[in-house]
Amino acid sequence: MLVLPLAIVWLAAVPLALLDGRRRWVGWLAVAALGAGFLAMLRLAVAVFARGPVELVAGGWPAEVGITLRADALGVTFAVLSIGVLLAALAYETLGGVHERALPALVLFLATGLTGLFLTGDAFNFYVFFEIAMTSSFVLAGYGRRTRELRAALIFTVVNLLGSTLFLSGIAALYHVTGTLDMRGIATWAGVADQNSVLLIATIIFVAFGIKVGLFPFHFWLPPVYRDTWPAVAAILSGALANIGSYGLIRFGADLLPRELRFAAPALLILGAASVLYGALQAVAVRTASEALAYSAISNAGYILIALGIGGPAGYAAAILFAVVNSLNKTVLFLAAGLRGWLVSAAFAIGAFSVAGVPPSAGFFGKAALFRGGIAPDDPALSVALVALLFVGGALAFVYMFQIYQRDFWEREGAGQTSGIGSRILVLGLAGLVVAFGVWPEPLLAVSQQAAGVLNGGRP
Amino acid sequence: MIVLFALVVAILFGTGAYLMLKRDLIRVVAGIILISNAVILFIIAAGLTRGRAPIYPLPEGEPISDPLVQAMALTAIVISFGITALLLSLVYRVYTTRETVDKEDLSLAEAEDERQLEVERRA
Repeated sequence: MLVLPLAIVWLAAVPLALLDGRRRWVGWLAVAALGAGFLAMLRLAVAVFARGPVELVAGGWPAEVGITLRADALGVTFAVLSIGVLLAALAYETLGGVHERALPALVLFLATGLTGLFLTGDAFNFYVFFEIAMTSSFVLAGYGRRTRELRAALIFTVVNLLGSTLFLSGIAALYHVTGTLDMRGIATWAGVADQNSVLLIATIIFVAFGIKVGLFPFHFWLPPVYRDTWPAVAAILSGALANIGSYGLIRFGADLLPRELRFAAPALLILGAASVLYGALQAVAVRTASEALAYSAISNAGYILIALGIGGPAGYAAAILFAVVNSLNKTVLFLAAGLRGWLVSAAFAIGAFSVAGVPPSAGFFGKAALFRGGIAPDDPALSVALVALLFVGGALAFVYMFQIYQRDFWEREGAGQTSGIGSRILVLGLAGLVVAFGVWPEPLLAVSQQAAGVLNGGRP
Repeated sequence: MIVLFALVVAILFGTGAYLMLKRDLIRVVAGIILISNAVILFIIAAGLTRGRAPIYPLPEGEPISDPLVQAMALTAIVISFGITALLLSLVYRVYTTRETVDKEDLSLAEAEDERQLEVERRA
């Protein structure tokens, strides 16, 4: 059962790579394969949430020797989310007409990498799947008919490769310190190893994932890339690929190296706050929709970091909830920004309200979870600062989202060609999901709490 | 030995980082190759034991080197090889569309494109 979601997309990706993806039936075949992978993933997720983690040692090796695949609540949450986002983006692009033959296969390879890295229990295996996902996304970033995408792809590749190599050296160093690559073993042995060396490794890994998710001092690559890539690809990068960064921060921080995470909490809070404010202020200042959305992504990555800095079960649950909601928001917004027509402006408005955290959208509960985690009775100064920051960040988000809406959807109402009805309904459906999670948030809250419960640092 | 490893890794990484800041895209790619090789060397240096090659039959009473880091290094070499090919093809595509591999020229060409687009939009 654990292998099934991985095998479906992987086996489908290989023959699809040989077919011409510009033909409509090939596109729909890829959508069907990804849909089957998504259903298998959902089935696995239901089993994991009902009966606890599922484990498998690859190749029939004894445990501790072979490579472990392990699906726990945190991993399957992110896997379902990312595959869902990929499915939506691929269906969107197929509806609009694919214009490069490799796109469907690349999205499936990306899905393979993402599924693998969310379901692995081995640090080096994580890196291998991570590279599969990154390599496909490097090619995807160059997708499009304009020459601008090419430069975006180049920037994206160079900066993220640097991040990947840093991460690899972090894994090697972790192996040297703990003597194992199994994540559970690392979590056990890193806790008793020399704190100075583990702290150094934790910093390297933090920088690597910080680059991936676009946190404040490592964000420089993100705006030009998100601005210049194709809308569906931008949705994939910010809705699915950025999940690697947030998952990595949560997994390696809160699960494997919780002692170092607690130690670095003040630094995380400061960096997170800087990220939130910098991203929001820049987003207010820039003029194009996709650039503002890129800065908004930087700003929202800051919230995840703040939630991690707050720590404890409530903080980690807030981080997971916020990462899920943020990924949904960004998918809706980037996909809607590439379309025209009246259903689309409604979808965009819902996404915008969700980013600003206005009920009844899902974004409200992301922010609410942060509030709940952020109010620490023993430290009033910190609570006041956090609440003030959340208010300022939310208000700025409201300003910049409304600016985009006004410029791109109000003023140009009726201008330009109306997009196909299929893509518009798809985007509206996604927006409907955001509202549905906002109106009925209990399942999402329960999922995030259970996912936080599997973390070593998340147990009360 | 560890100091030697550290020194070589540092020199490779430093040279790679320097090349990455160059204007010429081919040098940027060369910089990335150097950095990924520095990391591969670092993986080898992270091995837990040192000694004879870990091939069966194992020598009696002598230390053998850690086979796990060698497997990791091999995987990393393959991945970095693939990535390098991809990067070079990206640079080649830049060259065929823009006829330059200089970052400054690329930015200039891009700014010119933007201006053209703006003019068309006004018209």
